[in-house]
Amino acid sequence: MPTVAAGLFDDYDPETFFDEVFSGPGEVREHYTGLLDRLRRFSAEDLARRERRRDAAFRSQGITFTVYEEDEGIERTFPMDLLPRVITAAEWEVIESGLVQRVTALNRFLDDLYVGERAAVHDGVIPWWLVTSSDGFSREAFGIPVPLGARCLVAGIDLVRDAEGRFCVLEDNLRSPSGISYVVENRVAMTRLLPNVFTDAPVRPVDHYGRSLLGALSRVAPPAAGDTPTVVVLTPGVFNSAYFEHVFLAAHMGVELVEGRDLVVDDHVLYMRTTRGLKRVDVVYRRIDDSFLDPVTFRPDSTLGVPGLMAAARSGNVTICNAVGNGVADDKAVYAYVPQMIEYYLGERPILPNVDTYLLWEPEQLEFVLANLDRLVIKPVAEAGGYGITIGPKATEAELEACRADILADPRNWIAQEVVSLSRHPTLIDDHLEGRHIDLRPFVLTSDTVEVIPGGLTRVAMRKGSLVVNSSQGGGSKDTWVLAARPTGEAEGDTDAAAATPLLEVTGDVEVTS
Amino acid sequence: MLARDAENLFWMGRYLERAEDTARLLDVTYHGLLEATVAEERTAWRGVLHAVGLDEAAREARTPITAAAVSAYLVDDRSNPGSILSAVEAARENARTVRESLSTEVWQSLNEFCLSLRSRNLRTDVEHQPHELYGFVRKQCQTVAGVATETLARDEGWRFLKLGWNLERAEWSSRLLRVRQQYLEASGFHEWVGTLRSASALEAYRRAHRTSMDPLDVVSFLLLSRTFPRSVFFAVRTAEDALRMLQGEDEPGVALRLAGRLRAELEFADIREIMDGDLEAELFRFESAIRGVSAAVGAQYFTSAHDFDLHTVQVFPGEGNR
Repeated sequence: MPTVAAGLFDDYDPETFFDEVFSGPGEVREHYTGLLDRLRRFSAEDLARRERRRDAAFRSQGITFTVYEEDEGIERTFPMDLLPRVITAAEWEVIESGLVQRVTALNRFLDDLYVGERAAVHDGVIPWWLVTSSDGFSREAFGIPVPLGARCLVAGIDLVRDAEGRFCVLEDNLRSPSGISYVVENRVAMTRLLPNVFTDAPVRPVDHYGRSLLGALSRVAPPAAGDTPTVVVLTPGVFNSAYFEHVFLAAHMGVELVEGRDLVVDDHVLYMRTTRGLKRVDVVYRRIDDSFLDPVTFRPDSTLGVPGLMAAARSGNVTICNAVGNGVADDKAVYAYVPQMIEYYLGERPILPNVDTYLLWEPEQLEFVLANLDRLVIKPVAEAGGYGITIGPKATEAELEACRADILADPRNWIAQEVVSLSRHPTLIDDHLEGRHIDLRPFVLTSDTVEVIPGGLTRVAMRKGSLVVNSSQGGGSKDTWVLAARPTGEAEGDTDAAAATPLLEVTGDVEVTS
Repeated sequence: MLARDAENLFWMGRYLERAEDTARLLDVTYHGLLEATVAEERTAWRGVLHAVGLDEAAREARTPITAAAVSAYLVDDRSNPGSILSAVEAARENARTVRESLSTEVWQSLNEFCLSLRSRNLRTDVEHQPHELYGFVRKQCQTVAGVATETLARDEGWRFLKLGWNLERAEWSSRLLRVRQQYLEASGFHEWVGTLRSASALEAYRRAHRTSMDPLDVVSFLLLSRTFPRSVFFAVRTAEDALRMLQGEDEPGVALRLAGRLRAELEFADIREIMDGDLEAELFRFESAIRGVSAAVGAQYFTSAHDFDLHTVQVFPGEGNR
């Protein structure tokens, strides 16, 4: 291979981590060889030029999130690394089936808890006190049904790869997981910036998300809504940091993006204010936290929500997605019980393992954790976005002391986990490549079936050595390619991989010549 | 469509028109005055502030009546909601809240306009290359308008955008005329040329009237022309058309009735009658009528109130201080 840009990969050192691209120094994993051959034709300057073009494009399209500093909102772009992350069809098959299994069990648990017999509690699978002491637990959700039991209609499950390359679940996001807009926009950007790197890769498309989401939301509408229910996306408004994503969701579904002030409940029926008076709404895909949703039921000072919305939902006149009270199931202490839930509800062995987790109200586990604080990760159970985490090996003595005091003050509020040395991926840093830790957040839609969008958001910890990938903590992202199984002489639709996936994405893309 | 989205599109149109008209007025005033005396200059700049309806606000902000100060106040003063920068940012904010009902191209062209305006050194531009700056603003506003025309479906949203755009334009054109005739009593050839130019009407006027600058022809052109898109009549008629499409075939709402009445008055006006009477009072009356249409649009479409009495409508939605 003539390497015009000798050096782009030459000095790259995978070190001792599990590297997504290299199995050893200079040894490229098979599913990356084609991509690397193509990337080698670019010089560092070529790539730098494309990075500038990428930044300009994201800014002019306003694909940004807002960071608030000293009361001033700054619109930032979410940096997308130019090297895509590649997942093989075989790897994806495992991930997909594991996610379907996990999200199915979590939905069964939520339905059992809020509108069922609470069988898992009675049968001792999960302690009642743990459920009721969760911040995300909501008494107001009792007795509010969701058609098809799809209480968690959109889930974002964070996966990491350990030192052996095994995919594990790091945490579940069952309330309003963000990031799908970047999955789709990253792909659009990649196809424009580096069209040539795609040509021999059967990459599965992701841009049908809006259609899949609208389909799922329509299927959970109240029966009275008929065949074409009115669906809306409820946003806190233009100042929310994820506003771009809310616009994206509404635009890709072709539905209205509403704020609380656009909605009104009259006699337990939800309406939106239109130019032609009130129009009935059947399904609300809300991107507002539980506590702001309805000032009558929750925080009386909330102006973001809709008075009477919960009563309308309880009357079965409107479906709220995701359902209220899901936070109980993505509580990081409840997380430790998900493998047991899978066995209990489905009678199956978990396909995707959890990361080893210590529960600190158990005296022996607490004792062990306190003695080993400097080599564990300590997380608050109810936070999202990477806030409040202490990483033992990187913490100072004073931070560990503060952490110890926090744990002792409220052991229920914390969990400890073994440090997972997340896999690394070569990432463009200035004019060369360096390994950076990554994770993966696939998105899972539940209605009458469970659908996983191929790939998901690969987040990158842009700071050297950092294990924190959250966008609010300076993370970046990568376009994530799931390769389609190569046709084996038969029609693509007949292969196992295709049969396991929903109908939409298996289209002509797999025909691409190499 | 959502009432709030309709209101945002309406205002997006208004703000863009305002930014464009302000830029044009400043451009013409600045270049027209290069050969003037100091006293004439002060009169002219006071007239500009009056034309944009900000004379009192500028006095309160202690803006000196000089080319530099008035221009700065109307270009990049963020404390002035009527400055070009404020208007463009407001238009972008309106667009951002209705982005799901705009085409990507419209949002992108407006976003790029706003970002590049922000990144310019506006103070320096006002001083050293005013014509380039005002031309840039005008061109960018027209780009957004063109992209909107070529990419938006002719649905409700489009009509509200068009409605806002044209009501602002109609009011602006009338006010420009009123201020011109008030401040330049002895309006001569050059003043009328400037007036026509600030409405981008000079070339169209010449094709209709050659080089004659009879005040009657100029006023008639800017007020009543049936072919020039920036005349008061043309803008009111376009707004009326948009309202008619919004209304459907049912009995006309208040907004359409008011717009139709005003359009008819302009359509069948006798320019000699207007010129012989009190032109200023007449223009003032037209402006009030245009504001009345705006208020009725707000009450009818944006507030979701079903019963409303025209006589109780005082507020101009979204803009309290007019």
